[in-house]
Amino acid sequence: MSTAELYTQPARLPVARSLGASLVILVAAVALIGPLLIPGDPLAQSLLKALSGPEATAPLGYDHLGRSVFHRLCAALMLSPLIALAAVLTAGAAGLILGTLSAAMGGWVDTVLTTLADALLALPGLLLVLIVLAMVPGTATGFWIGLSLVLWVEFYRLTRAATREVLVSPSVEAARLLGFRAPYIFRTHVWPEIAPLMLTTAAFGIATAIMAIAALGFVHVGMRAPTPELGLMMVELLPYWREAPLALLSPAIATFALLLGLTLLAGSRET
Amino acid sequence: MKHLPLTAALLGAAPFAPLPALAQDDTLNVAAQYEIKGPEASTSGFVFTRMGLTETLVNADPDGRLTPGLATDWSSSEDGLNWTFTLREDVTFHDGTAMDAAAVVNALEIARAKPGPLNGLPITGITAAEGAVEITLSEPMAALPAYLAEFRAQILAPASYAEDGSGVAIIGTGPYMVTSMDAPLSLDATAFDAYWGTAAHIPNVAYSGVSRVETRALMAESGDADFVFGLDPASVARLGMVDGVEVLSTAIPRTLLIKVNAGHPFLSDPRARRALSQAIDREGIAKAVLRYPEGADQLFPPSLAGWHDDAAAPLTYDVDAARATLADLGWTPGPDGILTRDGERFALTLTTYPDRPELPLVASVLEQQFRVLGVDVTINSTNSSAIPAGHQDGSLDLALIARNFSLIPDPIGTVRSDYVGNGDWGAMNWNNEAFATLVAHIARDGGAPADKAKAAAILQDELPVIPIAWYRQTLAVSNAVEGAIIDPFERSFGLQDLRWAE
Amino acid sequence: MKALTSRLVQAVVVAVLIGTATFVMMRSLPGDAAWRIAAGRYGYDNVDAAAAEAVRSELGLDGPALPALLQWLGDLLTLDFGTSLVSGQPVMHEIAHQLGASAALAGIALLLSVLIGPPLGILAGLRPGGVLDRCLLVVSTGLKAVPQFLLALILIVLLAVQLRLLPAAGHGEARHFILPSLTLALGLAAVNARIARDAMARIADMPFWRFAEWKGLSRREVLMRHGLRNVSVPLLTYLGLQFVTLVEGVVVIEAIFGWPGIGHALVHAIFSRDVPMVQGTALVLGLGFVLVNTCIDLIVRRIDPRGETEARA
Repeated sequence: MSTAELYTQPARLPVARSLGASLVILVAAVALIGPLLIPGDPLAQSLLKALSGPEATAPLGYDHLGRSVFHRLCAALMLSPLIALAAVLTAGAAGLILGTLSAAMGGWVDTVLTTLADALLALPGLLLVLIVLAMVPGTATGFWIGLSLVLWVEFYRLTRAATREVLVSPSVEAARLLGFRAPYIFRTHVWPEIAPLMLTTAAFGIATAIMAIAALGFVHVGMRAPTPELGLMMVELLPYWREAPLALLSPAIATFALLLGLTLLAGSRET
Repeated sequence: MKHLPLTAALLGAAPFAPLPALAQDDTLNVAAQYEIKGPEASTSGFVFTRMGLTETLVNADPDGRLTPGLATDWSSSEDGLNWTFTLREDVTFHDGTAMDAAAVVNALEIARAKPGPLNGLPITGITAAEGAVEITLSEPMAALPAYLAEFRAQILAPASYAEDGSGVAIIGTGPYMVTSMDAPLSLDATAFDAYWGTAAHIPNVAYSGVSRVETRALMAESGDADFVFGLDPASVARLGMVDGVEVLSTAIPRTLLIKVNAGHPFLSDPRARRALSQAIDREGIAKAVLRYPEGADQLFPPSLAGWHDDAAAPLTYDVDAARATLADLGWTPGPDGILTRDGERFALTLTTYPDRPELPLVASVLEQQFRVLGVDVTINSTNSSAIPAGHQDGSLDLALIARNFSLIPDPIGTVRSDYVGNGDWGAMNWNNEAFATLVAHIARDGGAPADKAKAAAILQDELPVIPIAWYRQTLAVSNAVEGAIIDPFERSFGLQDLRWAE
Repeated sequence: MKALTSRLVQAVVVAVLIGTATFVMMRSLPGDAAWRIAAGRYGYDNVDAAAAEAVRSELGLDGPALPALLQWLGDLLTLDFGTSLVSGQPVMHEIAHQLGASAALAGIALLLSVLIGPPLGILAGLRPGGVLDRCLLVVSTGLKAVPQFLLALILIVLLAVQLRLLPAAGHGEARHFILPSLTLALGLAAVNARIARDAMARIADMPFWRFAEWKGLSRREVLMRHGLRNVSVPLLTYLGLQFVTLVEGVVVIEAIFGWPGIGHALVHAIFSRDVPMVQGTALVLGLGFVLVNTCIDLIVRRIDPRGETEARA
């Protein structure tokens, strides 16, 4: 959950972005279409098959409880991105509204919001998520609240900075004199300015959120068994590394592919 | 391409790695899951007794028979109300002071004032006599010596306690004495020269509290710890294949069981509890998840002589019979396969805690096996205190727990508190007159094996708790060490008997 | 001066936020705090109603909320974090003890990352588009997409389990530092390298650089005289921001490698509801971040008095 990056690098080749997009689409496609092609239950166990290798109905073999790794992986690849998406949408909306408000109204509203954002920025995000998780343990709701709290700051700062700049520009002055109302000014002048930045931040935010969910799952304070979750799957399968390497590698590779895709997609701004 | 920074990193790291991976010095490194809360016997005493720092008046051998510890002998009066414990002579604490009757009385009185098994005993007085300690009771208690073998009854020097009785240092009588203690994770100790018994062979020992089982297993594998306690099933299999490490495993008097709220409308009928029991594939769980040779077909493991009854009718796995029983009780399958009765779904919450890594695993297996029967179980893996708290406020449905029958070396202690005294970890909303009478009788004068078998048979029939497996304790020891054994009563690591291999 | 004042305001708001949040947490966590604390103290075999009752009466957990909050915030101002509910030791003492272990780990990780990243980045930046530059781009992009726990997993499986070169866990000896600090360092180095590379490339493109080369100074001399100084400004600024990554990494990495530091303490305190410990560790981490960034502001100002650059966090 690193913060904004000062020193922007030269825009990376569009190749990297399309590569990122294709990776994300590929992973999403596997997660969505996979279970349709090969039906199976991510929770159904067959203890006799524990840790056995791939077969037609379970292309990635079985885990330590005889559950199909493939179907668990597909379910896990739906879960964290959905939580992440929800958190980013909430955070994005909150950041956009508060940021615009802050820039448009100035004064104490701006001071209070900015001070709050600065303070939150000084808190490591994972710490915030952990504290929220301690109140709402082991649930998607806990992650959603915690991650939204962490992520809105970035959207807020971007919106506030961009909006302030736009609001003092001559074209907005003109629009104001012509009697256009705030929503119109926002739609025609502000939004086009910040939209690309917002999308980049969103992609980066989703990657951050997925990483956080998996990391906390890996240290057993995130989602709970038997929910298929990427970090949890990896930590559960780590002891069986020698016996069933494929079972551990599958979630590890899938996580990497998804995060790499999102990182490339987010492009140059983040680090 | 990844090897480039990796190599660079390794080169960069080289100055920090002056030692080869398998360093060998004269310190034995012990790793176990327990964290040290502080120099306080009531919370962390089990670490101190296991490490051989402190001792109790009474010890237990691997069969659970009581043997002399700091007391050489004990006896009770005719009416069973007055006990005399003769103290071992010429024993000194690590600070050089003598272990005399006054010190023992002080330690026991402080222990008795804190939460723990001693706290619940009918003790009316503990007094110092000439080379002995006398304990008077308000009612007979045959198992009193076993209670004094419990870790919280460990004998510490008077200087170990602050004015208010809280612990400030660990000054015991054991074969090892503390040289430094860094709560919560580490403790160093060295052999105590003036130990009354056979002196320890290995001069220095170090304890590390490592809560993650995966990490402990890796420490055993990499040779980073010589003596690693408490392994998960997967690591046992893996370490079995590793040279340089030997894995030991022993049956211990601890049972994996489901605690049932017998006051719950779905579960109040013993037939419903039996149906749940029949839906459990104990052998499958034992072999695939725990990697044990067998499941538990009764509550008490074979090591608890008397309480375990070979003749008892075993608990079986028969899903069809279970279905039929539930149908008799008025349950019919709903559209989603879950049973319903009078518009209520057969849905329960199974509470468990992740402190023991196998519990959530077994819980997720049970969830599936109960689903086959048509019972919808939601797993709540949470803090262990949720179970006694749920017991107290009546909100608990089912709980998957690992219950130790040897908190004191005599199972009567656990049986009495869990199945008669409304103990937080035992039967819930279940009372049985015949059982209570039997147990009271056994507690008073020891009881005959037939009494114990009869009590066990009542539990087997009524199933206030549903047994699943008998635990095994596991230990990985480096080949550099000889003489390791596992104490089934989990009281000692036996470090003083270890020696470095030639 | 203005920057310092704003940092001070930031620090105070952080303290009040954490103080209030942890207080609300103390009061609103599901279940009964006394039970959790008892479980933390006595362990799962021995936690029962009697133990919980003993904790409840000892700690006086049932008082009214508002006076308690004021008392709590007042104590905070005097840097009195109270005593740990689990161990009974003063929180300050526990944190001071654990902070050393975490700081050592973080320091070595930072040092490693600086030894790995910037040299590679500078070399790459001297020849933008060269082989090294392309390799570095691929590797650093890849590394950035690997979460720290996954990197830890890879390193453990490779170096500790398969090759058995290094211990996977433990503490106390130098070799125990390698895996956890390397895990932290690789992620940081990936970013450091990119920043150094971009800064170097920009500088190498500037007129004064070409002039210096034209003057006949050797490459090494130009680099020493003009390059390093200019590269270090963005690097230092960025290192301040990386403290967050480091702190978060420390929480996860300590839990994985069983490192007895502040992150490990935090995760444990949350488990056993040791709210004073949660509060203390969170405060130390949050205020530490503000402090580090203040120092970096000052250093950057010294190196580059024009004051064009300013850390943003």
